[in-house]
Amino acid sequence: MAATVRQLAFRAVSLFAVLIAVLLLLVVLLGATGFSDNLLRALVGEDVRGMRQALSQTIRDPAELERTVTARQTELESFYGLDQPWYARLPAAVGRVLLLDLGESRSLRTAAGSSDIGDIVRERLPNTVLLLTTAFLINAALGLVIGARMATRVGSPIDRVVAYFAAISFAVPAWWLGILFIILFAFQLDWLPSGGMFSAPPPQGALPRLLDQIKHAVLPVITLVTVSIGPSIYSVRTMTMTVAQEDHVTLARAKGLPESQVSRRHILRVAAPPIVTGLVLGLAGSLSGSILVETIFNWQGMGLLYFQAIGAVDEAVVVALTFIFTLLYVVLRFLLDVLYTLLDPRVRYG
Amino acid sequence: MQPPPVIVVDRPGEEMKAGAADLDAGEESAQVSALRLFVTSGSGRAGLTLFAIMLLISLWVLVTYPLDFGSARWSSPAYWANNPRNAPPIWAATLSGQAGFPQTSIELAQPVETTTIPAGEVRRYQAPIAFNSSEAPTALILTLNGVSFTGRAPSILVSLNRPDGGQIRLTSVPVRGPRPGESPPYRRGYDVSERISLGDQTAAVDAVTRFYGERYPENETPIVSQAALPRALFGVPAADGSGRIEPLDGEYTVDVQVIVANGTDEIAPLNVTLGGTVFGIMGTDGLGRDLWQGLLYGFPVALLIATLTALLSTLIGASLGILSGFAGGLTDSVIQRASDIISNVPTLPLLIFIVSVLGRHLWLIMLVLVVFSWPGLTILVRSMVLQLREGQLVEAARAMGASRSRIMRRHVFPQVAPFIVAQMIFFAPGAILAEASLSFLGLGDPSIPTWGQMLEAGQRTGALYVGYWWWVLPPGILIVITALAFMLMALALEPIVDPRLRRPT
Repeated sequence: MAATVRQLAFRAVSLFAVLIAVLLLLVVLLGATGFSDNLLRALVGEDVRGMRQALSQTIRDPAELERTVTARQTELESFYGLDQPWYARLPAAVGRVLLLDLGESRSLRTAAGSSDIGDIVRERLPNTVLLLTTAFLINAALGLVIGARMATRVGSPIDRVVAYFAAISFAVPAWWLGILFIILFAFQLDWLPSGGMFSAPPPQGALPRLLDQIKHAVLPVITLVTVSIGPSIYSVRTMTMTVAQEDHVTLARAKGLPESQVSRRHILRVAAPPIVTGLVLGLAGSLSGSILVETIFNWQGMGLLYFQAIGAVDEAVVVALTFIFTLLYVVLRFLLDVLYTLLDPRVRYG
Repeated sequence: MQPPPVIVVDRPGEEMKAGAADLDAGEESAQVSALRLFVTSGSGRAGLTLFAIMLLISLWVLVTYPLDFGSARWSSPAYWANNPRNAPPIWAATLSGQAGFPQTSIELAQPVETTTIPAGEVRRYQAPIAFNSSEAPTALILTLNGVSFTGRAPSILVSLNRPDGGQIRLTSVPVRGPRPGESPPYRRGYDVSERISLGDQTAAVDAVTRFYGERYPENETPIVSQAALPRALFGVPAADGSGRIEPLDGEYTVDVQVIVANGTDEIAPLNVTLGGTVFGIMGTDGLGRDLWQGLLYGFPVALLIATLTALLSTLIGASLGILSGFAGGLTDSVIQRASDIISNVPTLPLLIFIVSVLGRHLWLIMLVLVVFSWPGLTILVRSMVLQLREGQLVEAARAMGASRSRIMRRHVFPQVAPFIVAQMIFFAPGAILAEASLSFLGLGDPSIPTWGQMLEAGQRTGALYVGYWWWVLPPGILIVITALAFMLMALALEPIVDPRLRRPT
């Protein structure tokens, strides 16, 4: 047990190193290209402008006003570290983001009008989680059921079809498929809404509202599932099949165990850790994919936010979101390790 | 981006030991039989065929396209100015049974006659048009591809001769005269062609209306608007008195007279363009760009991204893996820590970030992809090398006094090679899809058009959703096919690298 904890702790340190490395990369890139200076100057400039306006009401003498404003500007510049080169500000900047003090957005707001990036993320993150977990659960369920069944039919025509479908499904960009679905189901057939999360105006009452959101989620979820289901089925099938050829399975059959028990206890149980790994890694991958799918479907999640931030050249948001994406990814990876430990006795006792 | 389906190699050492026996019998034959297995599998053959076709198209594009196709042509609206916007392909109209008027361009290289007049010289060009369509052209354009003069600016007179004997004066315009401070010879239209639109001149509207009244007094004269002028030029008032215009088939001639002040003034070939309602093999986009040209150009770019990224990632991944496995000690730990960190970084967000900060360059995109994709292979190769190093084959070779590099070359590398090749092919579709995604977000290299960028242009202008299928489908399908070609090859390699996955035949 102690060994397992030590191993997981080691893993946690390693994943924390990933976070630090990504943050360093972000901050160094922004600093070395002058982006960060511009960003902070814009902040100071805005502050000073607001202050000049406020002060001009009370201080009548222009020279006096100028002096006060300049003093304030110098003060702000040293506060933000603009009087030092960018690499001197680096540790502070990394520390701030690590503590989730993400700063202010220049152009993006929450529904309530807050420009605090933490608030914006809190507003958007649940939408992304909702979309991705729904797709993930459907994908995992279908992948497990169909994949395990396919493993018993290796070499059959339908097995070949599944293999080709997996290859195609991997080769199709989710966003392009999304466009096709929108054209077909929203514009041609008019069955489902083309984008957004609610109708305008959203229906009153909790249940109609929920149903409305579900209706809007159908197309993005189908898109996400369609592109990931092929590889899921195929990898479940392959792993199950590999385990099914092991000696202990032959032994189990030779003992005369019923096939359902062989399959459940001797094949699927053994194949579980790599299968779970594959599926969760798919979830982690779809995190990045959400940037495009949410953009296509105008789904108000983190991915669309990222796209909007790039379009608006809002560096603070871009940095914050790259960090949050990495954070989510790393957290998923860690959960995966914990899960693996629980599932694989060899790791637990090894 | 999703992770590729995992090629499972949880205990590679076993097959290695099994494989070692027939390796002694003949290293050559093992590889030849692997190759045969690859070529005879359906997916392997399909993948190879697709790849070969794409390679041929790419070579053809490399030979025939100008090097600066992206910046000089694709991104230059002037180059496509004469083309109709959002026009479907010619064959689509034919298939759906609707008549379309295909874009037609006639080059006027030599004047049919040259007359000397007191004020200089008149050069007369004629463009014959055999018009036979139920659909009228959408525009009539005269293009000056280069005029140079020393004295007075040439002036241009254009008229249309109709099969029913009508002659309609379309326009009469001078070429732009010398600017203050400009010295002769004055050159116009060499860099960007000068376009004279003939199909919307108010004088011509009056001329057509007058002609209709004189020539067809019995039919009610329709009201010709500026937009309907091309239709009126190639039509007659309907005999049923409905006031519509019906097309008139027959031989038309566009007559262009250029009056130059000096005989030495030069006029490069002129062009008369009849704007089509349908265009070329793949239609046009919202800027009038010929989509067929862009689609073809996408092939070499996609293959370049795929092969270069895959090759470099594999090279780095495999050599670091072998080094890590063989060197051990500090080198091993450093490489392992580095690949552990890099393999846990989400690539797409970082790729977006780096490209939006450092600039939209294709080489940068590929560099980032390479930097973040090697660790998986390194980890795989290292674990295999570790197992092989302890194996009997290597032990025997070492006992016979083989050097480290010889063991590496002759006994370790050949056994790891199939996995490396499989992984290399796996890298390729990921790279293609990553670049397409990035381009679709508007972060593609503006000087190198790709399929993803074509789709982005449609998405940005909202054109993808209004039924322009020739703009939505082909780029996406080509992305899928290219990625699929590599996926099929990877699929065929699977049973070769892991014999447990062979299907009973």
